[in-house]
Amino acid sequence: MESLSRPASCLGAPSGRASVKSQGPTQCDLRTRVLSVVIVVMIVGSGALALACVASDPPSGIGGPAGFQSMVATALALPLANASVANAGPDQNITVGSPATLNGSASTPSQGATIVNYTWRLSKTGATVATLYGEQVTFVPPKAGLYRANLTIIDSNNHTSWDVALLITRERPKTFLEQYWPVLIIGGLIAACAAYLSFKAVARISGGQPLISTADREKFKLSLRKLKEVNRKLLSNRMGLIGSILLTAFILMAFFGPMLAPYSVNVQDLKHEFEKPSKTHWLGTDQAGVDIFSQLLYGSRTSIIIGIFSAVIASLLGTAVGLYAGYVGGWKDEVVMRLNDIVLSIPWLVLMIVVAAFMGTINLLGVILIIGLTGWSMTARMVRAQVLSIREKQFVERARAIGASDMAILRRHVFPNTFPLVFANTILTVAMAILSEATLSYLRLRPQGTVTWGTMLSYASQSSAFQIGLWEWIMIPGLMIVGLVLAFTLLGYALDEILNPKLRKR
Amino acid sequence: MASRSFRRYVGKRLVNVALTIVGIMILNFLLVHLMPGDPTTQMIPRDPKFDASLRWQLVEKFHMNDSVTTQLAAYMVNTITGEWGTSYISRRPVFDIIMGDMKWTMLLVGISTVLTILLGIGIGAYSAYRRGGPFDVGATSITLFFYGMPLFWLAIVLQLLFTTHPLAMHWWPQLPSGGYYDTDRYGNQLRFTWPVVLSIGRYLILPSLTLAIGTVAGISLIMRGSLIDAMTEDYILTARAKGLSDYQVLRHHALPNGMPPMIALIAMNIAFVIGGAYQVEVVFNYPGIGYETMNAIWNLDFPILQFIVVIGGVAVVIANFVGDMLLLYVDPRIRI
Repeated sequence: MESLSRPASCLGAPSGRASVKSQGPTQCDLRTRVLSVVIVVMIVGSGALALACVASDPPSGIGGPAGFQSMVATALALPLANASVANAGPDQNITVGSPATLNGSASTPSQGATIVNYTWRLSKTGATVATLYGEQVTFVPPKAGLYRANLTIIDSNNHTSWDVALLITRERPKTFLEQYWPVLIIGGLIAACAAYLSFKAVARISGGQPLISTADREKFKLSLRKLKEVNRKLLSNRMGLIGSILLTAFILMAFFGPMLAPYSVNVQDLKHEFEKPSKTHWLGTDQAGVDIFSQLLYGSRTSIIIGIFSAVIASLLGTAVGLYAGYVGGWKDEVVMRLNDIVLSIPWLVLMIVVAAFMGTINLLGVILIIGLTGWSMTARMVRAQVLSIREKQFVERARAIGASDMAILRRHVFPNTFPLVFANTILTVAMAILSEATLSYLRLRPQGTVTWGTMLSYASQSSAFQIGLWEWIMIPGLMIVGLVLAFTLLGYALDEILNPKLRKR
Repeated sequence: MASRSFRRYVGKRLVNVALTIVGIMILNFLLVHLMPGDPTTQMIPRDPKFDASLRWQLVEKFHMNDSVTTQLAAYMVNTITGEWGTSYISRRPVFDIIMGDMKWTMLLVGISTVLTILLGIGIGAYSAYRRGGPFDVGATSITLFFYGMPLFWLAIVLQLLFTTHPLAMHWWPQLPSGGYYDTDRYGNQLRFTWPVVLSIGRYLILPSLTLAIGTVAGISLIMRGSLIDAMTEDYILTARAKGLSDYQVLRHHALPNGMPPMIALIAMNIAFVIGGAYQVEVVFNYPGIGYETMNAIWNLDFPILQFIVVIGGVAVVIANFVGDMLLLYVDPRIRI
């Protein structure tokens, strides 16, 4: 196609020899080569910069670099069971997830007796976390906090003694990746788009075509007009208007809220736990003394992030599966759709609960992946149905007749025609994803280290907030979730009505 | 002739159901198999006093050294014969536990589904009938409001609302806040006498109502849409032209044609209702599968968790099959 329609002259080149086919490097060629080199260098450079950002470690935080820590507890096995508390050693600071070595040293004054057993009992706020055996043991603290290491020894005369050391465990400082992964993903997507566009521009210029053809201009004008039309219809639709206003409010809250939060959500203040609403804490404080109003502001951001990212993952997967199954047809379609039916027949929430339970502790990314990777089957079925009808349309046949490849037909004809459907459906999936996150959190499968409205509700109901009179703690995050879900649902239904009028004629 | 194709259709659907159930089992197997971690560490406390040979005995017993296909075969045979393993916590067979819980979940899901269908079809039909009117707008927005609500949250709020006297209203009804019947009065041993059945009903009001309110929008919105679709058809115009009243048109022409798509959708909706039932059971301490699942999650009782997916999936598949059969009965066009 390209070779057929390539014009003989390009920008700025003398057009006198238009009929002559391309020959030798002209001025135009040189310029495009320089331009393309510059663009490629820019892209590679920005990629390298991004890589350097990713690879660099964060500055060591409060906990210091995670490393191999060790501490010593000594115990003496005396004939009588008394022991002195030994010095726990200077190097007590241990970070979560890094192994700490506990060195026990013991001696027994009884003649000819030897130490036969070392038992370490590690406990946190009274509950035993681990029981380890041996003179030297390695313990990986699962959570931040104060651990008591209780060493009990038995010698061959059955005399016992014990000693205690304290391990102060700090939260591991977040790595750069953990802190900025949403930014990196969005940045990566933008960079990929930019790279694609610039490569296209380079290809066009070196192919001798103008950078922006009149056809492009017309297309842009058309799509702009269509966008304006959709926007007008959306705002004149009652559901769409309410949904847009609500969503705008929530997005503003997610964007600016954390900056306006009066307190940090990571600092615990155990002196002020379970406080009723007051002037200092507008909505009171939670079980760790953290301000609930600040949590509400922070939670808006994480809840929206979880909803949007997991819905996008689910939609991408579902669209890919649906496009493939619908377009290839035949037995491959049959196999894929059978598999899809299997996933579809398992209740989504149940599947998510079980996957999350088997994963153990999960973080923000884990929640997004669990929701996204289990929720694609409905989209796949819908996209396939749409593809089946588009595949038989005349324009697809026409494209095939002029020799377009399958990939090109999918990309230029089939996908654009399913996109409105997928888009409206994605918005509805966001609502479901937000609800799912709240439910998972309520069932104590909550993302660690982040605050969402779901985790707030979860801690509130776990501390039976209604019974202790802190009803704001349950009511307000719940109403926030209702509002956010409603915003996405209304918008989704309205878009569905506008973009897919044939599917749901009213 | 009709009966032959009818039989063929049912047979095809049955094969489909069987295939899907087998697929769910395989998926479940892979799900558990691919999860990180060694199951023996859950069975044996991490304690060197326990013999290492014990671990090898377990590995032998559960075929963990065999090839994946052998394991899959053993798993399938055990699943079908009801050998589902033993709970780590209560030391009872998982099959007995799940079957014992299932009747309560089925009771809850069944009653709330009936409520949802009645409410949803009523609201949807009336909204379509008075389309654009105040009832339509009000009902649509209220059902959507409840649809956007996390079900567990609605359950918590309703639980609070009916176990206190809001605004000091003494006539406000009080309902039990949790459990499945009055075990204080009638004892822990369940006997089906009239007072016990009444008590079960009383304890079921709040959970089933919560579930019904939370899921009604899914039905009523679709009912409304499908009826409005039916109302734009030509035969409705003909019926109106004959001089039938609005009610007659709705009752004899629109509803019979708007109903068949609803049956398939209600069957699909069962998956959503089961997910909702889990949340409601947890809030109301209702001893069904959802409540059991949560206890299993909190106690890391993996044998129970393994079969939750199978139970949920099989329930949905059967519901869909029943829906299809009903459709066959209602819609004569499929039978031919």
